[in-house]
Formats: sequence, C-alpha cells, structure tokens
Amino acid sequence: MMRFLIMITSAVLAWGAVDAFVQVAHAQPAGQQVPGNPRARVQPNVNVTKVHPHSDRVESKGKGMALLFWAFAAASIGGALFVITRRNLIAAVMGMVGSFLGIAAIYMMLYAHFLSVVQMLVYAGAIMVLFVFVVMILNRPEDEPVAPSGRAGQAIAGIAILYLVGRLIMLLWKTQPANPAAAAAAPPVTAEGHDWGSVKAVGTDLFNGGLFPFEAISILLLVAVVGAIAIARPLHEDQDNTGEPSTPTPAGGGK
Amino acid sequence: MGNILFNVGYGHFLVLAAVLFLIGVAGVLIRRNALIILMSVELMLNAANMTLLTFSRMWGDLSGHTFALIVIAVAAAEASVGLAIVVAVFRGRRNVDVDRLTTLRH
Repeated sequence: MMRFLIMITSAVLAWGAVDAFVQVAHAQPAGQQVPGNPRARVQPNVNVTKVHPHSDRVESKGKGMALLFWAFAAASIGGALFVITRRNLIAAVMGMVGSFLGIAAIYMMLYAHFLSVVQMLVYAGAIMVLFVFVVMILNRPEDEPVAPSGRAGQAIAGIAILYLVGRLIMLLWKTQPANPAAAAAAPPVTAEGHDWGSVKAVGTDLFNGGLFPFEAISILLLVAVVGAIAIARPLHEDQDNTGEPSTPTPAGGGK
Repeated sequence: MGNILFNVGYGHFLVLAAVLFLIGVAGVLIRRNALIILMSVELMLNAANMTLLTFSRMWGDLSGHTFALIVIAVAAAEASVGLAIVVAVFRGRRNVDVDRLTTLRH
C-alpha cells in the first residue's frame, strides 16, 4: 500500500516536472534574441506563448499587498511629515530618504520596476548626498523654523489647504480606468514581448516616442551642471570659504 | 471599511500621491529655510510621478513611465541648481531664510 502511494506520488511529481520543463522549453526561445536582429526569433513565438520567460506574472493584489501598501504609505507620509516638521536639517534629510524609499516600493507595486530602481538611485542616492553636503556646508541651526503669521492668516491657510485636500482626494478617488478588467489583472507584456515596466519596455517607449525629450534632457543636464558650478563658485577671490586662508594667524606670523 | 483596507485599488495610490503633494505644498508654505523648501519641492515632484505611474498602469500605456523618467531627470537638474543658489546665497549673507531674502543682490 505504501509503495503504491509512493509510486503514484512520484509519478505525479515526475509528470508535473516534465510538464513544467516542456512549458519552459517552449517559452525559452521567446526570450532569446539573435544579436543582429532582435525581433528575428522573438516575433513568431510571441503569438504562441505570450509570456516572457523572465516574467513573474505576480498580480499585486490581495491582503498581503494591502499590508505592504499601508506599510510603505505610512513610511512615505511619515518621512514627508518629518521633512516639514524637524528643525534639525539632517533629520529632515533622513526623513526625506525614508519617504523616497517608501515611494520607490510603491512604484514597485505599480509594476514600475525600472522607475523604482531609478528612484532609489537618483533620489535616495544622489540627491540625498547633495542635500547632506549642503547641510554640512551651511552647518547652522535654524532660528525660527515656521514662518510667523497672525492667527487669522494661519486659520485661512489651514482652511484653504484642507479644502484643497478634500477636493483633490474626492476627485482622484472617483477616477476609474477605461477598462477595469484589464487594469485589475497583472499587466500584459508589451508588443515586443517584454515585461511591463522593465528596462526594455521603458527603453523601447523612451526611444520610440520620447526621443526629443530625451535629447532635450541631456542638454538640460549639461546646462544644469555648468550653471551649478558657475553659481556656487565664489565671486571674488578674497571672499571667504575659498579654502585657502587669506590672512595668516597672528600666532604664526608674530615674532 | 474592510473593503477600503484590504482591497487596495488605484484610488489608494492616487490619494497617497495627493497627500504627499499636499504635504509638500504645506512645507513650501510654512517653512522658511530654503533647503526645506527645496526638499518639499522634491516631494511634490515625487507625488506627481506617482500619479503618472498610476495612470500609466490604469490605462496600460507606458508613456507615463517615460514621462516620469524625464521628470526625475528634471528634478535632479533642479536640485543641483537650487542647492548651488542656496550655497551662493549663504555665502553672501550667512543665512538661507527666505523671508529675509528681499533683494536679488548681495
């Protein structure tokens, strides 16, 4: 009896393994690309399998996804509140980093994998370092963090902001996708067979439809680099903060 | 209530982006330090990016990803130039309080 069960179980397992292997073997050519012509072997197989072999096809919904969404939403909103309430500038920058990391995780839930990684690299990496450097250069505690204004002005501003919050949230909450069934499922692969939001998919879209903005951005970054150097450079040589001491200390010069 | 808590849809992402944007607006309005104001601007750009990505996902159109990438590049350029201006202002007048910055010259 026991041997019979083991035989049936192993047969089912073997059948499952063979089935999975056959599926993978069928799906594999869709991902392989001939170096010269990337569409040469992809195109015929896309119609057969429709699934990229590297695609995970995990749908981000359910209770686990809800738990993660609330956790990362709390992280991003908490970090944002940290930014606008702290007097210590380093604490504010660290709150900003936490907020950006939470936002990157939220991007991941929106199937924007590439944008999520770019967010972490650019914001939580580069821009955070830039802010920390400037905070260290300034190195000065704030006198009065919140702008002083009358009680009436604060009340009017608060009411205006709350009204803006209410109207914006009401408007956005009612937004519905054009095709709710398609928007609820995991996103499809693109026409080239790439995963939604992957580097290849975003790159294909960027260099097909957004080539002019891409080139304009490269010029903008060049101008920003030159402008940042030109602005941050001291105007006069005798100004302080140039790094070289202009006047010798009396202890060293005295005799 | 449980439906709102456990059934996370696109409205949740959009409302989260709106809340982040409004926190950024509040930071720009109530703070006086130029650095905090720059950080709040970055927060607002991120919230706009999240809205773009959500709409991109809703309509199944990858153009939102491309646009968000361009917004990130513009935000990086804006941060570098803005921080350079902050450093230049600090060098001239020893504080970065925007309420006291009333002239364009040193």
